[in-house]
Amino acid sequence: MTTQTIATSDRIEKAQPGWVKLLDMSDRALAVLLLTPAAVLLTLIIVYPVLRLGYTSFFSLSLTSGLPAEFVGFENYQLMFTDPVFWETTWNTVLITLITVPGALIVGMALALLANLPFGVQWPVRLSLLIPWALPLSFAGLIFAWFFHSEYGVVNDVLARFGIEGVIWFNSPNLAFAAICLTIIWKTSSFMALIILAGLQTIPRSLYEAADVDGAGRIRQFFEITLPLLKPAIVVALIFRTITALQTFDIPYMMTGGGPGTSTSTLAMYIHQNTVSFLDLGYGSALAVVMFALSMCVTAVYLRIIRTKE
Amino acid sequence: MSQVASSGSTSFFSGKPLRFIAASILLVNGMFPALWILFTSLKTEAELTVKPITWLPHQPTLANYMQAFSDQPLHIFLFNSFMVALLSTCLTLLVSVLAAYALARLNLKYRGLILSLIIAVSTFPLVTLLVPLFEIMRALNLLNSWIALILPYTVLSLPVCTLMLVSFFEGIPRDLENAAMIDGCTRMGALFKVVVPLCAPGVFTAGILAFVNAWDEFLLALSFNSNPALRTLPVGIQLYQGEFAFPWPVISAALVVGIVPVAILIVIFQERVVSGLTAGGIKG
Repeated sequence: MTTQTIATSDRIEKAQPGWVKLLDMSDRALAVLLLTPAAVLLTLIIVYPVLRLGYTSFFSLSLTSGLPAEFVGFENYQLMFTDPVFWETTWNTVLITLITVPGALIVGMALALLANLPFGVQWPVRLSLLIPWALPLSFAGLIFAWFFHSEYGVVNDVLARFGIEGVIWFNSPNLAFAAICLTIIWKTSSFMALIILAGLQTIPRSLYEAADVDGAGRIRQFFEITLPLLKPAIVVALIFRTITALQTFDIPYMMTGGGPGTSTSTLAMYIHQNTVSFLDLGYGSALAVVMFALSMCVTAVYLRIIRTKE
Repeated sequence: MSQVASSGSTSFFSGKPLRFIAASILLVNGMFPALWILFTSLKTEAELTVKPITWLPHQPTLANYMQAFSDQPLHIFLFNSFMVALLSTCLTLLVSVLAAYALARLNLKYRGLILSLIIAVSTFPLVTLLVPLFEIMRALNLLNSWIALILPYTVLSLPVCTLMLVSFFEGIPRDLENAAMIDGCTRMGALFKVVVPLCAPGVFTAGILAFVNAWDEFLLALSFNSNPALRTLPVGIQLYQGEFAFPWPVISAALVVGIVPVAILIVIFQERVVSGLTAGGIKG
């Protein structure tokens, strides 16, 4: 007992140099101190850049011309509305979102239902859902570009085995677009599947047993038990997927580079092109403001859903 | 797990044919693209241009791997990717542990507001900040440097890691911490000596997610670091394609080299990764 007390007081002695006292402060001061690093980083990488983005979008600022920034009001925005490439890339982005988000949900749901079967060993199934998630988007783009290769691609080879003549995927805007969407769905559906699978595993077995007793069939059980209980997990996954779909860049950049022409180019690719290739920072900023607005709408919906749940 | 016990089988393919079909679909869907690129990387250029195409390599060769390292500084791309991912992961963890502790343990007045803010940031499209970040990095002379990527990548993973750690910290009984403080630990001492070690699995999981996020990122790396000596792997791989030729076997070899490190992480820590990934989904 005595030795313990001595040890404790010893530790107090040791633990009391000046800087420690500094850290032994009121909760409020400590909270400010602990949140400061995060706040500094967010200010530097998000808050200040967002303000700067809005500001720059009202200027004509091209690094290639070497001229100083000149205030032009809404000129960049006016230019945007008459720029066919802006409309095309925005439409492509929206279309990719509208196709690949529900696509990934349906495929992910199917994968999750399959993975939820009582397998003897779980790890191969888990791994086969994790690998597509962990594969970098840019790698997936390259791999699938090779899949869809007109001469030596495995897709055309499989088609040939079924007696269907292979097509040159990346020469036609529609086929190239389809190839891109298929790739995005493959890449993103496994994350959906993981989320849905985790949700499935929280549904108590007894609910299905009760439904069996009541004579409800499998399909009815799916629509009346599984889907409603999965809804919260699905909504969150869908919102995250929608926001990332709006930013689609890596896969089309790697697969087609936006071609043929600009037919598979996305808004993110157009922003990148204007900023990094043309060094037209003013116009690039105005384009980014549009994307920012699009994605903020989705975030607003998300926050609202979370609030109402609480 | 109880299902496994009740089925009483140990073999993966045991049971009904439905299960066999389901397993095949899952495995082919998940593994085929990676396997296909592995096969391609083992084929000779001659075998690759045979029609109809071969599936399994007839004369497996490692020549493409040698060429992948000699044609381009692949080891440098790997090193850059690794260091950028590792450093940003460490920074993410340090910053998010501190913030998460404040949110989980100190009775903050604006806790709800701060949490909403973090959720809003977690959905933030970093692409839209390409222009201002490019300007900032250019002004600070940070284009073509690790820091230009480490800072944005840290912010990329910060919200998710913080939210995850908040829920882990809330699961640690306060009594343990109070006991440590009675024993003479300061609050910070209790955090790093009691809470963080107890949450080690959670902190580690958050770290893996941050690492994979950074390893995967492409757009910012492409835009900020164009110097070959500072390219990360996804950006460096583009250098293999020539003006007209696209040396698929060599590119495949480089891709395999890039996939292996993350694949090892995933294989070893798969359960942890799944629990980390799905924590947000189920909670939210």
